[in-house]
Amino acid sequence: MIPSKTDAAQQELDRLYKLHFGKLVSSLLNFSSSIDPDTAEDLVQDVFSSAVENWKLTMPDNPAGWLYRVSRNKAINWIKAQKKYGDLQDDDLLLHHDPAPSDSVLEDFNLRMLFACAHPDLSPKVQVIITLKYVVNLKVESISKIFGMTADGVDKLLVRARQKIKDEKILLAEPAKSEISSRLPIVHKIIYLVFNEGYKTSWGRELIREELCEEALLLNKIILDKKIGDNDTAALNALMLFNASRFKSRFGASGELLDLESQDRSTWNYDLIALGHHWLGESKSGVISNYHYEASIALLHCSAKSFKETNWKLISDLYAQLLKLNANPFVELNYAIALWYAGEKERALSILHELEKHSFMSRYYLLNASLGKFYKEAGNRELALHYFELTLGQTSFEAEKEYIRCQVRACLNP
Amino acid sequence: MDKYMLLVREDLQMKSKMSKEDFFKDIDEMSRWVQGLAQSGNYVDGEPLGPSGAFLDRNAVLSDGPFIESKEGVSGFITILAENQAQANSIAQTCPMVANGKVSLEIRPLVIWNDPLKNGRSATGA
Repeated sequence: MIPSKTDAAQQELDRLYKLHFGKLVSSLLNFSSSIDPDTAEDLVQDVFSSAVENWKLTMPDNPAGWLYRVSRNKAINWIKAQKKYGDLQDDDLLLHHDPAPSDSVLEDFNLRMLFACAHPDLSPKVQVIITLKYVVNLKVESISKIFGMTADGVDKLLVRARQKIKDEKILLAEPAKSEISSRLPIVHKIIYLVFNEGYKTSWGRELIREELCEEALLLNKIILDKKIGDNDTAALNALMLFNASRFKSRFGASGELLDLESQDRSTWNYDLIALGHHWLGESKSGVISNYHYEASIALLHCSAKSFKETNWKLISDLYAQLLKLNANPFVELNYAIALWYAGEKERALSILHELEKHSFMSRYYLLNASLGKFYKEAGNRELALHYFELTLGQTSFEAEKEYIRCQVRACLNP
Repeated sequence: MDKYMLLVREDLQMKSKMSKEDFFKDIDEMSRWVQGLAQSGNYVDGEPLGPSGAFLDRNAVLSDGPFIESKEGVSGFITILAENQAQANSIAQTCPMVANGKVSLEIRPLVIWNDPLKNGRSATGA
C-alpha cells in the first residue's frame, strides 16, 4: 500500500517534533528575553498545529526551515500583541535573532530543561513524567500509556509540575555550579528511572520501550560529554550499557519471555558490554553509590560464560552491600535469589518466607514466582504449583503469565 | 533524605464490608505504587492495619474502640524517604488510592533525635 500524502506529512511531522521541539523552544527563548518558557512552548505547539493543517495541502521544500520561520513569525506577533509595538518592523527583530555564543555550563536547552525537571520538591515519578514531556518530547498519550494513567491524569500532573518549574532560574539564567552539582543525583535518578521504564519486560515488544532506553543513554551521554557529571554518572552509564546489551535476548523467537537462565548468551551485544566495562573503570574512586553496586552485579552477569558459572557468591555479597545503602524488601528479594544460586538455599528460603509476611510483598508476583521456581528445583511439586498458582493472579501481562504457565507445564510433566 | 510517614485514613465501616476480592484489588494497586517507590529509592516500609482492635482512653478504660463508627480511621501506614516535605507531599499525590478517592493521607516528618554523644561532641570533649 502506498502511504497517502497525509500519512507521509504526519510521519515527517512526528519525526521533526521529536527532533526539533526542544530546539525550537530554545531558539525562541534566545530570540527575545520577553518570551518565557511556557509561552515559547505554547508558540511552538501552535506552529506544529499550523503545520498539520498546511502540510496536508503542500509539503514545504525545507520542512525544518519552515518550522523555524513560522515559529519566529508567531513569536514576533506575540511580542507585538504583548507590547503593542504597533510600528515595529519585523526586520528589526530579525536583525538580532542570532543568539550570542553562550559560555553557559548548561548551554544545551534540553540539558537545562533536564536540570529544571530535577526539582527537589517533586516526586521522582513526577520528575520522570515532566522529563519525558519537556526533554524527550513525548506526547501526553504516550506518557499515559507508559504509566498506565489516563491522559487527563497526566495533564493534571503536568499543570501542577509546570507551576514548580516556571520560576526556575536554571532555565533562563546561568545556573550556579553548586546548583548543578546539588541536582546531579536527582538527574541521575531520573535517567535511571527512564531507562528502567523502557527496560521493563512487562511491556511486551513495543518499540517505544527501546526508545526510552536510548533516550536515557543519550541524556546521560550529554552529561558525560559536557563534563558536568561525576563518578555516579559513569557508573550509571555502565549499568545501563550492561543491561542494554541483553535487551533483545530477553525474548524468544515467538516473543515469549526468556529468563536469564535460558537466554542465548551469544546474542548479547558484546560491544555494549565492553563499553560498559570502560565506564565502570572510569567510575572508580570516591563514594560508592547504588549505581556502582548495580553496575558491578550487571557486569558479573554479563561476563559469566553460563548461568551456572555466574559468580553468585559475589553477587549476593554485592546485594548485601546494596541493602545496607537502601534497605527495602525488593532488594531483599534479589539478595535471596542470589543466595539461592550461591548455594545458600536454606537462608534464601527463610528470607523469602519472611518477605511473604509483608502484605505488599505477598502480592508481588516476582516473590511468588521465585518461591515457585525454587520449590520446583527442590522437587517439591505441590508447593511449586501452589506458588505458581498465586503468581498467575498477580500479573496482568500476557508474556509473564505465559512464562508462568510454561513453568507449571514443566512441573506437571517433568 | 529524611523519613516521612504517610498515615492512611479511610472509611473503616465501608472497608469492613468490602469483599475479599476488592480488598486484594486495592492492595495490588498499592503494591504496584510501592514497587515504583522502591525503585526510586523512596520506600522504607509500610503495612495496612486490620479494622478491629481496642481503644484505651485517658482514664485507662478499655473499649472496642471507636474505629468502626468513625468515618475516617487510620487504616495503614507507609514510611518513605524524601528530600523535603514538598517532595513527600508530591509522592503522596501520586498514590493511586488517593487518586480514586478511597483514602486520605497525612504526611508527617519523623522526628529523629540526634544523640549529642554520637554527633562529634562527646561528653569528654575528645
